[in-house]
Amino acid sequence: MTELATMDFHPQPQSGDARPWAFPAPERGTLDNGLTVLRCHRPGQQVVAVEVLLEAPLEAEPTGLDGVATIMARAFSEGTDKHSAEEFAAELERCGATLDAHADHPGVRLSLEVPVSRLPKALGLLADALRAPAFEDSEVERLVRNRLDEIPHETANPGRRAAKELSKELFPATSRMSRPRQGTEETVEGIDSAAVRAFYERHVRPATATAVVVGDLTGVDVDELLGDTLGAWTGSSAQPRPVPAVTADDTGRVVIVDRPGAVQTQLLIGRVGADRHDRVWPAQVLGTYCLGGTLTSRLDRVLREEKGYTYGVRAFGQVLRSAPDGSGAAMLAISGSVDTPNTGPALDDLWTVLRTLAAEGLTDAERDVAVQNLVGVAPLKYETAAAVASTLADQVEQHLPDDYQATLYRQLAATGTVEATAAVVNAFPVDRLVTVLVGDAAQIEEPVRALGIGEVSVVRAE
Amino acid sequence: MPMGHTATAEAGSGGLTATEHRLANGLRVVLSEDHLTPVAAVCLWYDVGSRHEVKGRTGLAHLFEHLMFQGSGQVKGNGHFEKIQGAGGSLNGTTSFERTNYFETMPAHELELALWLEADRMGSLLVALDDESMENQRDVVKNERRQRYDNVPYGTAFEKLTALAYPDGHPYHHTPIGSMADLDAATLEDARAFFRTYYAPNNAVLSVVGDIDPEQTLAWIEKYFGSIPGHDGKPAPRDGSLPQTIGEQLREVVEEEVPARALMAAYRLPEDGTREADAADLALTVLGGGESSRLYNRLVRRDRTAVAAGFGLLRLAGAPSLGWLDVKTSGDVEVPVIEAAVDEELARFAAQGPTAEEMERAQAQLEREWLDRLGTVAGRADELCRFAVLFGDPQLALTAVQRVLEVTAEEVQAVAQARLRPDNRAVLVYEPITAEGGDAETAEETAEAAVSDENEESAK
Repeated sequence: MTELATMDFHPQPQSGDARPWAFPAPERGTLDNGLTVLRCHRPGQQVVAVEVLLEAPLEAEPTGLDGVATIMARAFSEGTDKHSAEEFAAELERCGATLDAHADHPGVRLSLEVPVSRLPKALGLLADALRAPAFEDSEVERLVRNRLDEIPHETANPGRRAAKELSKELFPATSRMSRPRQGTEETVEGIDSAAVRAFYERHVRPATATAVVVGDLTGVDVDELLGDTLGAWTGSSAQPRPVPAVTADDTGRVVIVDRPGAVQTQLLIGRVGADRHDRVWPAQVLGTYCLGGTLTSRLDRVLREEKGYTYGVRAFGQVLRSAPDGSGAAMLAISGSVDTPNTGPALDDLWTVLRTLAAEGLTDAERDVAVQNLVGVAPLKYETAAAVASTLADQVEQHLPDDYQATLYRQLAATGTVEATAAVVNAFPVDRLVTVLVGDAAQIEEPVRALGIGEVSVVRAE
Repeated sequence: MPMGHTATAEAGSGGLTATEHRLANGLRVVLSEDHLTPVAAVCLWYDVGSRHEVKGRTGLAHLFEHLMFQGSGQVKGNGHFEKIQGAGGSLNGTTSFERTNYFETMPAHELELALWLEADRMGSLLVALDDESMENQRDVVKNERRQRYDNVPYGTAFEKLTALAYPDGHPYHHTPIGSMADLDAATLEDARAFFRTYYAPNNAVLSVVGDIDPEQTLAWIEKYFGSIPGHDGKPAPRDGSLPQTIGEQLREVVEEEVPARALMAAYRLPEDGTREADAADLALTVLGGGESSRLYNRLVRRDRTAVAAGFGLLRLAGAPSLGWLDVKTSGDVEVPVIEAAVDEELARFAAQGPTAEEMERAQAQLEREWLDRLGTVAGRADELCRFAVLFGDPQLALTAVQRVLEVTAEEVQAVAQARLRPDNRAVLVYEPITAEGGDAETAEETAEAAVSDENEESAK
């Protein structure tokens, strides 16, 4: 039965004239204490975003103390020479501010967001935290216990569990990247305030740190403000740390992490590839978007919109760590959940999508839509101060020039179908993918073995 | 097409303005100019949500929302996604208890396309809707349910607690995701009837915010939406009103394969849109919002009995709101220890009220949250629709933060005394079991706080 519409139809409208927009260029400077500062005025953004990067990478954690960078990051907001832990949290919230801190492979990041009217006070608190953290025994002990309590929650989460297993599979046991970023039960147990302070003294100093300040800075004397706050932080000078090379074993294979009774299988299929320093990056971004960037990309067109096996599967490239000499790497992966009975058929279809892509390549129409989306969404994506600050901080962390993002948009627009095809086919070769499946082994093991996508091993439930 | 208010900023609106208009077919339109960035947000709220669903058809509003992306009169297949994304825009739709919304954020010069697309599906969805879309999206939604609720620890807590907090037969007794059995039972004819009943211009509010020319925008809206016939005949939703307090403590113990014991609770609170709801928001912020709150200080910092402890507010206009407590225990700590501490803190708070510093902190936190929400064109468009649909006046969105700042400590104490009591809550206790030891029940587990939206597309 069809239904007649009673409205008047009009032809699809044409685009209007595009209004100019460019990724904002920050102003770069250095304070007397050696702190690098990037600032960027964004009219109308009343909530200011401040990102601070510390060159305290995970591979600098002492042997057996994985997680000390994480505990240090968290301990920054647990008291200073002026405030106890409770007072510090109260003072921050009195500013209407949020302060998050986390440790990742390239270093520790602190992210402050605060209404511009209370920026001076919040920046003062952030500076206190960096300059004179209390690292009190009892607070660190609490953070350690808290971290230990979190681990079972992460293990029970299929997405987190899959990520942990993939890192373990891909990287050699000697590499920090093979182990959980926030440490394991065994390593976290051994962390105390002395260990946190030692890590801080060794790796945290203004000379190797960068602050990024973005927002509506009308009427704010940024120089004076920074001088009074982050400018009061002192520390020795230091040589830049060499970045260890990233190696990974991407021999095609399948690891099933058993989760008896699971109604879905979490998929994480990955390997390691080029980061932003590589000339292939724009083409890789474009090709990866065509493969699995959105609901209308190749993977979801089949797995979701044709078969209904999933709520959504995505392909992405995420920088792990970069080096000035270009020897860094990114994780290239496909991730999503499919219902348990359709795990075998879904993987079969996924591999067919990859094989077809390699055999036939992308179409010009796919490439065009991808470019229009990736470049076109930039003004939307960077509407808030926090989004701009985060990308500027990523660039610094990855040793890229301040105009990298602006340049990337031009490169994306200039990338052709052939280049994008080559990049994505190289990024996701069917025989060089490590597949982690968190699901009910009793139900999925046999169908997955039958696919012939690599040797299958099973990790029993913990 | 009578023009509405002129654009003059009201006190406490942060300089933001909005104008209101109504088409002859009943479509309400709200426009707000902001030329700082060349982007424009389109937001369309339909006044229909899971509270309008009937027994045996839970989840239909949300399943229907998915069908709105499966093509319409002039748009083939996934064309809504393809065209918007191909124009450099982003889009989605969500379903909650009280409404269904669809939104696009566009580069400003592509605004007309988004309006054309929204009008096409409002006026001609049934031309394209077929069995194939229905069967496919039924499977997608069932996988959404598995991914977000059934396959994660504590995943069904929200559903269980909602079912406890609102009595059987109450329109908010079930959540928007619906049950697997009802999703299986929904028919194409159900979807068609749903569209004919609820998807009409006079049951919707359209807002457009950003770098726009209001006259041109209004002309486009008239051109594309103006000929869609309005129709009446929408049944009023079942009455959601309930007594101010539950009058007893409702309780359910869940034995499941979860990583730790948990205490969750839902307190019955004042309806959204009232000054008392803002006072309750402040009370919950003082008690459990952030890392300087009373419960965090007590349970996480001092007693060290919890790994996480917090309160959230699920604002509802057509039924009492819910104050949402979520505590995950530390180590081997037992739930009664946590419960006694929570009750003690709540009783102390009700007796003493917030301190001046606590009020300042809570108001500063809520103010920043409002600045964040109104700081993007999409956030502003959504809030304008919210206040227009739920409270009949979009202008209220622009002054909402001012109202929160006007609430007094006495009002916060009063709402705590009246509502944050053991005899006004539904409690859910989680006791972990091991995989092998359990019965045949599915290992259901959780997302954290109250999830009121079913996203059309998962964020990755």
